[in-house]
Amino acid sequence: MQTIETEVLVIGGGATGVGVARDAALRGFATVLVERKDLAEGTTGRYHGLLHSGGRYAVKDPQAARECAAENGVLRRIAADCIEDTGGLFVTTPWDDVEFGDRFLAGCAATGVGVEEIEVGAALVREPALNPDIRRAFLVADASMDAWKLAWACARSAVEHGARVLTYHRVTEVLRNGDAVAGVVTVDVRTGVTLTVRAQVTVNATGAWAGQLAALAGCRPVDVVPGKGIMIAMNHRIVNTVLNRCTMPSDGDIIVPIRTVSVVGTTDSPVTDPDQLEVTQAEVDHMLDEGEKLVPGFRKARALRVWAGARPLFGAKEPGDEKTRDITRAHTLLDHRQRDGLDGFVTITGGKATTFRLMAEETMDLVARMASPGTDRPCRTATLPLPDSEPGAYYAVGSRLAQRERHLLDDQLVCECELVSRRDLTEALDRRPTANIDDIRRALRLGMGPCQGGFCTYRATGILHHQERLDQATANRALLDFLQERWKGLAPILYGDQLRQARLDDWLYQGLLDVEHLPAAAGAP
Amino acid sequence: MSDDGEIVVVGAGMAGLVAALRLAEAGRRARILAKGFGATHLSGATIDVLGYTPAPVMSPAGALPAFVAEHPDHPYARVGAGVVEEAVGWLKGHLTDPRYVGDLGRNFLLPTAAGVCKPAAVAPQTMAAGDLRGGGPYAIVGLPGLKDFYPSLVAGNLALATTPAGTAVGARAVEVDLSPGGRVDAGPLGYARRFEDPRFRADFAAALQGRLAADEVLGVPAVLGLAGAEQAWEELEARVERPIFEIPTLPPSVPGLRMFTVLMAAARRAGARVVIGAEVVGVETDGYRVRGVWSGTANGRRFYPTAALVLATGGWAAGGLVMDSHRVVREPVLGLPVTGADDGAARFLPGYLDHHPLATAGIAVDRWLRPVDARGAVLYDNVRVAGATLAGAEPWKEKSGDGISVATGYHAAMSVLTEEG
Ligand SMILES: Cc1cc2nc3c(=O)[nH]c(=O)nc-3n(C[C@H](O)[C@H](O)[C@H](O)COP(=O)(O)OP(=O)(O)OC[C@H]3O[C@@H](n4cnc5c(N)ncnc54)[C@H](O)[C@@H]3O)c2cc1C
Ligand SMILES: Cc1cc2nc3c(=O)[nH]c(=O)nc-3n(C[C@H](O)[C@H](O)[C@H](O)COP(=O)(O)OP(=O)(O)OC[C@H]3O[C@@H](n4cnc5c(N)ncnc54)[C@H](O)[C@@H]3O)c2cc1C
Repeated sequence: MQTIETEVLVIGGGATGVGVARDAALRGFATVLVERKDLAEGTTGRYHGLLHSGGRYAVKDPQAARECAAENGVLRRIAADCIEDTGGLFVTTPWDDVEFGDRFLAGCAATGVGVEEIEVGAALVREPALNPDIRRAFLVADASMDAWKLAWACARSAVEHGARVLTYHRVTEVLRNGDAVAGVVTVDVRTGVTLTVRAQVTVNATGAWAGQLAALAGCRPVDVVPGKGIMIAMNHRIVNTVLNRCTMPSDGDIIVPIRTVSVVGTTDSPVTDPDQLEVTQAEVDHMLDEGEKLVPGFRKARALRVWAGARPLFGAKEPGDEKTRDITRAHTLLDHRQRDGLDGFVTITGGKATTFRLMAEETMDLVARMASPGTDRPCRTATLPLPDSEPGAYYAVGSRLAQRERHLLDDQLVCECELVSRRDLTEALDRRPTANIDDIRRALRLGMGPCQGGFCTYRATGILHHQERLDQATANRALLDFLQERWKGLAPILYGDQLRQARLDDWLYQGLLDVEHLPAAAGAP
Repeated sequence: MSDDGEIVVVGAGMAGLVAALRLAEAGRRARILAKGFGATHLSGATIDVLGYTPAPVMSPAGALPAFVAEHPDHPYARVGAGVVEEAVGWLKGHLTDPRYVGDLGRNFLLPTAAGVCKPAAVAPQTMAAGDLRGGGPYAIVGLPGLKDFYPSLVAGNLALATTPAGTAVGARAVEVDLSPGGRVDAGPLGYARRFEDPRFRADFAAALQGRLAADEVLGVPAVLGLAGAEQAWEELEARVERPIFEIPTLPPSVPGLRMFTVLMAAARRAGARVVIGAEVVGVETDGYRVRGVWSGTANGRRFYPTAALVLATGGWAAGGLVMDSHRVVREPVLGLPVTGADDGAARFLPGYLDHHPLATAGIAVDRWLRPVDARGAVLYDNVRVAGATLAGAEPWKEKSGDGISVATGYHAAMSVLTEEG
């Protein structure tokens, strides 16, 4: 079995994990990150896409509001390319208490969240689809943030500073050296090859899986309850500003415009296994009904896809946890030496994507004290821009189109919905060889538009195979896997035009191409 | 019902075209009202009758009696195996440029753009040489500007196939670096227009010169011209001195457009009138008969009196059946009951390739294709339903798409004609 040695080992390739890895690498630590799937395949790639202004927590959770407000400013500086500066509105719909607006304003003022109450008429001019019966409107600095871009930019930066990022490496065992964690054993889930990573400090950044991972380390139970939330992407930009209900946080009260779509969400229900997140009909209907309150006619819009993510909710049932737990209620940093007498092991969980950098900074402050006591290695992530964000320009919704128009004659459009070209695809594959079209989806948004892979699934398979990146059986498998992956998010929302689209895709893949009789399909489960 | 009354056919897909052509041919005034074009423009353009039950079907004629017995609610069971054969034979007589070959006695096994050999009873002559029984060896040609066809994927999967006789199949990919006007994103139609030009065909043949083994059969994406395809194909075969076959690409479908053009011209010649861009938005009835339909166009609403109505609206894919966000299903033209979409019951299963309960949902009919209610009572005497709006089939899995449309479109017309004496 191969073994590698490092100073800092990070488990989990979500926003938190890549944030910690980048922070560690920038501080000069030898760093390795292991992720059991692709980067941002956990909660980070399934979140609502909102870079919080802090407004949502201004009344309910001032600490979280304060952190969001500060990090919103930081991320706008260092991660501009991942952010679309949509702005956000908090609106009082007929279902909401008008007085709450006053508490909201006071909360924002107390927590440093920038806010301005505007005329209802001005809000309606800005967002014509908004419910005309709203009674108050407040403008905040909400924005939408691309989780995949963010995760990959952090990872790239970490790698540029010497870190190793190992995707598809699942931790199966946590190695102990007496009262200390000495590293982990991973298995490459694609090849079955095992790898040992020995480290001075191991950071458990596995989000909703943090409890499972801590159990492998054999410490006292870390009580993380996965809280399931569903989101539905609607065709088109129904709105161009993030819309929030001005009320206590509840279900289905936010619509976020992301790239080509608008996403409504979300829910919150405790589940036992973060890998089993079923979407029910009732939840879908609930989201559509709530969406209707913010944007009348919402139900008539075309739903493209539904998915669910799992929030890591830290329970703190164990006596003593309150003490060892970091002061903020927004996220949880556990020093297992203090908590369990287990050296070289730290858990960071909870929080928001918006605060990932802060979480990483606090984690690495602790880790730096453990790994190199007495030396001063300050955090640099608050000021150093991520790759592609150096110019400081926000992403704009038309930018892909502008880019496409420059190459109309010399490049092929592989995914019309998301404007992905053959060159984009080839470059993404050169950067990151992969046998998995779903990885490409996350890198490029391939197959995420209205046709949900209707055309590009075949094309991507054909190109990957043509460029000899996939052998025949793997190509066939990749095509079928991607169709299955798309189906998972379609089945619960199939009605209206998306049902029509799905039937067209049935005709294309089964009626025309006969993919169910591909050689690989024979042995399929 | 007066003999000279016009008969409205709603829909211009295969089912509507067949019904209108058959009616017009029999001397009836037929009028197609269609919201838009149908799946002809997307279709692989083979006439698939029955390919899988789910076991592979070698002979549709042989398999149909048992299939019909096992699927009493299938459209084929309504019209009967004999009508299927008669209708497909009749259609073949109308398909020229290119001519169609084959019959229900035996399925061709024709390579798709994924390299799977798909069973089809009747196919354009330009595709027939791809039949897997020939065993190849195949040289599959790719054109770099065509993103809807990947020769290495086709060849790679063909090379994994065996013929029904059990022999191995040889296949490889060949790229021909020709693109219309140097465009890198030309699409099937862009190529098809170029292939109508003999000089382009000569360049194509020249580019293959010396690159093919003596016994290789040449597979090309189905882009050998829109008009005059048969001639283009024959000429190319002569130039490269070997059989050539076309493989359908992703839509838009060049062979589908050819088929549509030929059938539409035949229908018009026979006297049918066609209005594309006219959505039927309502009907006037007197009890059990439809008196006429309202169409909505850019010019406003218009009423068409009708002696009988053929509903060929294409099912879920074409808006012939719809479901709203409350999961309420509806047949929008006549408000007919939709069977197989029961409230509360699961409509979709977890696996993409599963048999989803909703797949066979549609309009239930009697053996004259008249719509019936849950107890089997006829709802409208002078309405016939044809094509993908019918309940009981999973044509994309069975490989029975145009077979069903042709058989039921034909039978709908015959049933209108017989009833009227
Ligand atoms: C429905 C929903 C909506 C949300 N919306 C927002 C929002 O709009 N704005 C916002 O700021 N925040 C939002 N959040 C919160 C935010 O998404 C999360 O807090 C954040 O993404 C968590 O990141 P993470 O890196 O800690 O966890 P994750 O992204 O879950 O990363 C953990 C990783 O660990 C990996 N892992 C698990 N076990 C192993 C193992 N054994 N070996 C190797 N790797 C392993 C997983 O595969 C996973 O990739 C939302 C959360 C949910 C659930
Ligand atoms: C990509 C693809 C590939 C296929 N490949 C093959 C193949 O290779 N072989 C094969 O046998 N079959 C194939 N099929 C199946 C076949 O082409 C048809 O889908 C099938 O025959 C159904 O035809 P239809 O006439 O019932 O419906 P459609 O062709 O869908 O036509 C429906 C018509 O009804 C019209 N319409 C709907 N509602 C209204 C309204 N309210 N008012 C007016 N007009 C209305 C539509 O505009 C359209 O003109 C394929 C289908 C697709 C989509």
